[in-house]
Amino acid sequence: MPQQDKQPISPDMMIGILKATMPFQVVSEPLLRRIAAIGWKTTFRAGDTLYEAGGPADDLFIVVAGKIDHELQPGVHARRPMKTLVEGDVFGWAALLEKVPNRLAKAVCTEDALVIRINGEELLKVLESDPNAGDVVMSRFATMITRDYTVPDLIAQLRGIHRKLHARDPQGMNVTLYRVSRWLKSPKPYLMLIGLSIFFGGWYLFVEVLRLPRFREMPGITTVVAEWMSPNPTYGLSIYTGEYYQHILVSIWRVTQAFFLATALGVPLGLFLGWSRKFKDLVFPVFETLRPIPILAWVPIAIVMFVATESAVIFLTFLASFFATALNTMLGVESIDESYVRAAYCLGSNERQVFLHVIVPGSLPFIFTGLQISVGVAWFSLVAAEMVSGQYGLGYVINTSYTTVKYPTIIIGMITLGAVGYVTSAMVRVAGDYMMQWRLRELAMGAN
Amino acid sequence: MATTETRGAIRIEDVVKIYDPDGAAVMAVDHCSLDIAAGEICMIVGPSGCGKTTLLNAIAGFHEITSGRITLDGEVLCSTDRPKSRPGSDRVVVFQNGALFPWKTNLDNVAFGPIMQGKLSKAEAREKALSMMADAGLNGVEHNYPGEVSSGVRRRIEIVRALMNDPKVLLLDEPYRALDSLTKSVMHEALLEIYYRNKVTIFFITHDLEEAIFLGHKVAIMTSRPCKPKKVLTVDIPHPRDYGVLTSKRFRELIEETNEAVHEEAVKAFQSGEKEG
Ligand SMILES: Nc1ncnc2c1ncn2[C@@H]1O[C@H](COP(=O)(O)OP(=O)(O)OP(=O)(O)O)[C@@H](O)[C@H]1O
Ligand SMILES: [Mg+2]
Repeated sequence: MPQQDKQPISPDMMIGILKATMPFQVVSEPLLRRIAAIGWKTTFRAGDTLYEAGGPADDLFIVVAGKIDHELQPGVHARRPMKTLVEGDVFGWAALLEKVPNRLAKAVCTEDALVIRINGEELLKVLESDPNAGDVVMSRFATMITRDYTVPDLIAQLRGIHRKLHARDPQGMNVTLYRVSRWLKSPKPYLMLIGLSIFFGGWYLFVEVLRLPRFREMPGITTVVAEWMSPNPTYGLSIYTGEYYQHILVSIWRVTQAFFLATALGVPLGLFLGWSRKFKDLVFPVFETLRPIPILAWVPIAIVMFVATESAVIFLTFLASFFATALNTMLGVESIDESYVRAAYCLGSNERQVFLHVIVPGSLPFIFTGLQISVGVAWFSLVAAEMVSGQYGLGYVINTSYTTVKYPTIIIGMITLGAVGYVTSAMVRVAGDYMMQWRLRELAMGAN
Repeated sequence: MATTETRGAIRIEDVVKIYDPDGAAVMAVDHCSLDIAAGEICMIVGPSGCGKTTLLNAIAGFHEITSGRITLDGEVLCSTDRPKSRPGSDRVVVFQNGALFPWKTNLDNVAFGPIMQGKLSKAEAREKALSMMADAGLNGVEHNYPGEVSSGVRRRIEIVRALMNDPKVLLLDEPYRALDSLTKSVMHEALLEIYYRNKVTIFFITHDLEEAIFLGHKVAIMTSRPCKPKKVLTVDIPHPRDYGVLTSKRFRELIEETNEAVHEEAVKAFQSGEKEG
C-alpha cells in the first residue's frame, strides 16, 4: 500500500476542496481551517492500489483530480458495489464507522490521481471540538454513504461525536445548562467573588478599622453580621426570627403580583404600540407624559384611589415596571427588520399570522430586556410604596428601623433586598434564555 | 413538480416609480419595460442605487408604483389604477440580506409557507421540507437555527423555503453578494440544479456581470438611476450549464460585449453620487 509520499497542502486550497464535497459543504470557515490543518496530499499512478478490503481503515480520502475505482466487498450488501470516483468524491469512510475497523472496499487508481487524506481519528477529534457542527458533518457522511454508495443503513453506522452536553437538542434546559457550565469555566464568577470581597472588605476597612468620620453612625459589617446571625438579635430581626422571613415573603409576593400584572398589560400594549402606527399616535403621547412621573409623586393619588392599602402598594410597585415593559416591547417591535415581515407576507401569511410568528418572537429579545428592567424597578418602587403604608415588607423594615434607630436592622433589610432582587432578575434572565434558545446558540457560535 | 410553459411570464410595461412624490421626488424607475418569459432566468444588472430593488419590490407587492403596469401570466399585478399588488406565495422573494427567521429552526423556516397558507398540516409540511432540504443537499442542518450555519447555507435554505410554495416566480435580490467567490461558485451550481428540477421563472438582481451571464437566459443591463433597461442581452449558451462555461470563448465574448455598457452606467452612477453627496 503506497503510504509513502504524504505531502503538506496549502490550507486555502484544501478549504476550497472541502467546500466542494458533500460532507463538508456546510461547515463554517474556522472549522474548515482546522480540518485543513490535518490534511495531506498524495499522488497515485494509474494502476496503484490505494487499499484492499480488510486492510486497516485509518485515513479518509478526497479526490482532487484523476479517477479511482471503488469496489465494495459483497458482505456490505451495497446495491451498486462499483463506483468510479472523480473530483470532489469522498471515500475511505470506513475510517469513521462505528463497528468496522477495517476497509470494506478495494480502491484502485485508474487515471493518475491527486487525493487528499485525513486521518479518521484526528478528524473526529477536530469535529468533537465543535460538536454541533461535528454532528452535522457526520450526519452528512451517513447520507452520503447510504445515498451515493448505496450501502444499507445498518452498516453505515457512524461513530458518534463525543460531547459533554447535548447543546444541539432544541428542547429542554440543555442549552441553559450549557451556558451555566460555560459561565463556570469563564473568569466571570471569580471576578464576581473578588468584586464582592473588595466591597465588603472596604466596608470593614472604612467603618471599623479606619473609622472615618463620615461613617461614624454607620454600623460595621461585623456588627451587622453578628446581629443578622444572632439567635437573640438586639433589635429583633435576624435569620432566626420568623418575622424576618415574613417580611421577605410579603415583599416577594407584592413584587410578583406587580411584575406579572405589569407584564400581562405591558407586553400587549407595547406590541400594539409598535405594530399599529395609528394606535401609537393615539396612545403614546399620554404614555410619555405619565412615564417620567416618579413613584413618590403617585403616592397621594394611589392612597386616594385605592381603599385597601395593599392594593395601593401593589399599584405603586406596578407602575414603573409597566412603563419599562411596554416601552421596551414597543422598541422590540420597531427593531424587527422589515424583511422578516415582508418574507412572511410573501410566504402567504395573513396579518394575524405575521403578528404571531414574526412580531412576537422577533421582539422577544427586547421584551426580556424590558422584563429584567421591570423586576429591578419593581423592587425599587416597592421600597417607596412600603414606606408609605403596610405593616410588613423589606421597605417597611428599613423605614421603621430608621425611625426607631435600629441601624443594623436597616442594613440587614438593605442587603436582603439587594440579594432577593438579584435572584429575581436572574430568574427572569434564565426564563428569557429558555424561551430564546436560538439566541443563545447564536451567541455560543459567536464565542467560539 | 408539474409546471406548464405558461407559468410565470412577467411583463413590465412602462413602469414609473417616484419615491416621495410630494417632497424630494426621487425618481427610481423611469418608464421601464421588460418581458420575461415563463421559466426564464432573467438577470438584472445595474449599478448600486439605480433602482433594481425598487423594481423587484413593485413586482413582489411591497410598495406602489407611480404609473405603468406589471402582469403575471396576463393577470394584472399592479397598474396605475391599482398601484400596489398583494404580496403572495406565487412570487416569493429571497432578500438582499437574507430573511430566514432566526427564531425558527431551518426546518420550520422551510415548512413555514404551506403551514401559513393552510395547504399542509404541520407534520406534512415538515415532511415535505425534510425531503426538499435533502434534495438540495441540506441535510444535517434541519434542526439548527439559521444563525448556526454559514451564510452560503442560509441562502440555499432560503431558496428552498421559497420553492416549498411552488411559486411561479422566484425574485432574488443579490442573494450571493456577501459570499466569497468559492462559495459563490458552489451556490451557482446549486441554484442551477434546483432550477433544472423546478423550472420556475427567476428574476435575479446582481452587480456581477459574470454571474449574470453564467446563470441567465437573458441579462438586462439597467441604466443608473432612474432605472430602465439600457440593453437586453440574450445569452445563447445552452442550458444546462456548468463551470466549464466560464472559460468558453462565447462566454468571454459576451462579457466583452456587455462590459462597456455596464461600466458606463457604473461611472454615471458614481459621478451622480458625487454630485449628490
Ligand atoms: N423609501 C425610499 N424613499 C426615498 N428614496 C428611496 C427609497 N428607497 C430607495 N430610495 C432611493 O431610490 C434609489 C433606488 O434604490 P434601490 O434600493 O431600488 O436601488 P438598488 O438598485 O437596489 O441598489 P443596491 O444595488 O444598492 O441594492 C436609491 O437612490 C435610493 O436612495
Ligand atoms: Mg438593492
